[in-house]
Amino acid sequence: MERRTVFLLAVLPLLLVALALHLLVGYRPADIPGLIGAVLRFEAQSYDEAVLLFQRLPRSLIAIYVGSIAAASGFVLQSLVRNPLASPATMGVNAGAALFLVAGALVLDIGPALQGVAALAGALAGFVCCIAIARFAGRRNDPRGLSLILSGALVSMLFTGITNAFLLSDPARRSEFLSWVVGTINHAYIDRLAMFWWVGAGAIVAFLLLARPLTLILFGAEKAASTGVNVPLVSRIAILAAVLGSGSVVAVCGPIGFVGLIVPHMVRPFVGNNLVFALPASLATGAVVCLLADVFAREALYPYVLSTGLVTDLIGGVVFVIIVKRFYLSPANREAA
Amino acid sequence: MQKVKRSILLETRHVTAAYGKLEVLSDVSVLFRKGRLTAVAGPNGCGKSSLLKAIMGFLPVSGGEIVLEGEQVARIGRKKLARRIAYLPQDCFCPDYMTLGELIELAGYSRYGLAGGPSERDRALYREVLETVGLSDRAGFPVNKLSGGQRQRAWIAMVLAQDTDIVLLDEPVNHLDMKYQFAVLELIRELTEIHGKTVVAVLHDLNLTTTFADDVVLMRSGRCVTSGPVAETVTTGNIERVFDLRTQIFPRDGRLVCFPERAGHAAVS
Repeated sequence: MERRTVFLLAVLPLLLVALALHLLVGYRPADIPGLIGAVLRFEAQSYDEAVLLFQRLPRSLIAIYVGSIAAASGFVLQSLVRNPLASPATMGVNAGAALFLVAGALVLDIGPALQGVAALAGALAGFVCCIAIARFAGRRNDPRGLSLILSGALVSMLFTGITNAFLLSDPARRSEFLSWVVGTINHAYIDRLAMFWWVGAGAIVAFLLLARPLTLILFGAEKAASTGVNVPLVSRIAILAAVLGSGSVVAVCGPIGFVGLIVPHMVRPFVGNNLVFALPASLATGAVVCLLADVFAREALYPYVLSTGLVTDLIGGVVFVIIVKRFYLSPANREAA
Repeated sequence: MQKVKRSILLETRHVTAAYGKLEVLSDVSVLFRKGRLTAVAGPNGCGKSSLLKAIMGFLPVSGGEIVLEGEQVARIGRKKLARRIAYLPQDCFCPDYMTLGELIELAGYSRYGLAGGPSERDRALYREVLETVGLSDRAGFPVNKLSGGQRQRAWIAMVLAQDTDIVLLDEPVNHLDMKYQFAVLELIRELTEIHGKTVVAVLHDLNLTTTFADDVVLMRSGRCVTSGPVAETVTTGNIERVFDLRTQIFPRDGRLVCFPERAGHAAVS
């Protein structure tokens, strides 16, 4: 069959394989059947089984949540702002959420639940700043949306700088946030996931319900409206869902960069731009990428554990350069979005 | 395809509309008759596209009203309007990797439920639409890889898949060579003759207009200069009023043929 069918059929088994790797890499092969049994019974009878159930499994859940929400949000943002470099990380969303969370925790001394709310508010604030600056710089005369990405970078730098200033100003408590602020999947954050999973779930439901009208908006606002799409309403709901979903990701484990940027570009050549298919594919692919990045972060320099955000930043930085080269620096692709 | 109701009639009454301060339509009153192919013609920037946009509600109408079967178009909701009027903008852009089949399936959005998709009836319609435009073997093909003529037929298929009685086409044959212009206009003609649709098409070429259209609306500077059946409306006097161009018009094989004259060259009559 065609590429899309192959991809959609392959991505779920792939997700299972990535999950199995994430859970089981590092254990002796002989122990694996027993470990799988422990997961299925959800009962730990040994140290290994306890590590699996109470450290690795939570990490897997967080990685799946983070990867799928970031990737789907990235796809939706890239579709709506018609820019291949759009993503929660490049539009000030992640930096805004991180700033509000850190400021809330260090300055106002709020607890984890309110920190999450602060992250959601910060995600919105970051996005609004990014759009406002882009408008100010004249996005209307900039069909390729370069100013949007530049203002996103500006907002991210500014907000990250202020976040760092807050961290530096509070040596006693900053260690708590030092690894979080670069994006770390840590089993301890499972409590935060338990608090905020519904935000991401809501975002996914909104995306899936709006998949068709969002795809129609790709044809241009007037064509979409002529087929019956309420363009302003659909765009606003989708952007709100993407921004709040990304904010909830930051609330759980910090700004894991670039997953939202690169996964849409991995999915699009296989599945296309129709969000009816691309969204499920992005959700699954994002989870796979995050699981594998986390396995790498955990095992590459064993016994030292890297921050997952560092790994995704490294991969993402390289892919970012490739996209810029293909989209902005090659004449053939200049008009393709 | 659904049989057209007898009373279908689209009408603009003294419509005035502007982009900011720039008035693009002033006091335009036009009747679009059911089951007819009406061409909207006139020089560049005369308000042809604006007229279609005003009907679709994409251009704020400051005066007059647009009436569809006795109902004000402005009061019909987006989804309901999408079931009655389909619109093809001038420069349609298809996202990469989108196949013709997906294009057509998306067109029926106004009929689907919130989480639903096409019904059996919809799928049958889509097969019929592909047959009508002669692209049955291209359903799985990316739209952006179709040839120019095929791509234009794909856009018309998307409009047809919306299953409306009225179809508005903004310059449907621009950028096509002569062979494809004729093929696409034959197809558009078929929509009125075989499928009973009411079609309004913005056309640049007067000879294409006289060859294919039933009625014509001639516009200039945002005003409707004249409108009516092609045979009565396309006259040397009207063409000169609209285009500032002297022409000779001959009846030939049951249609009119227009020859513009070169400035400073006397008519050979």
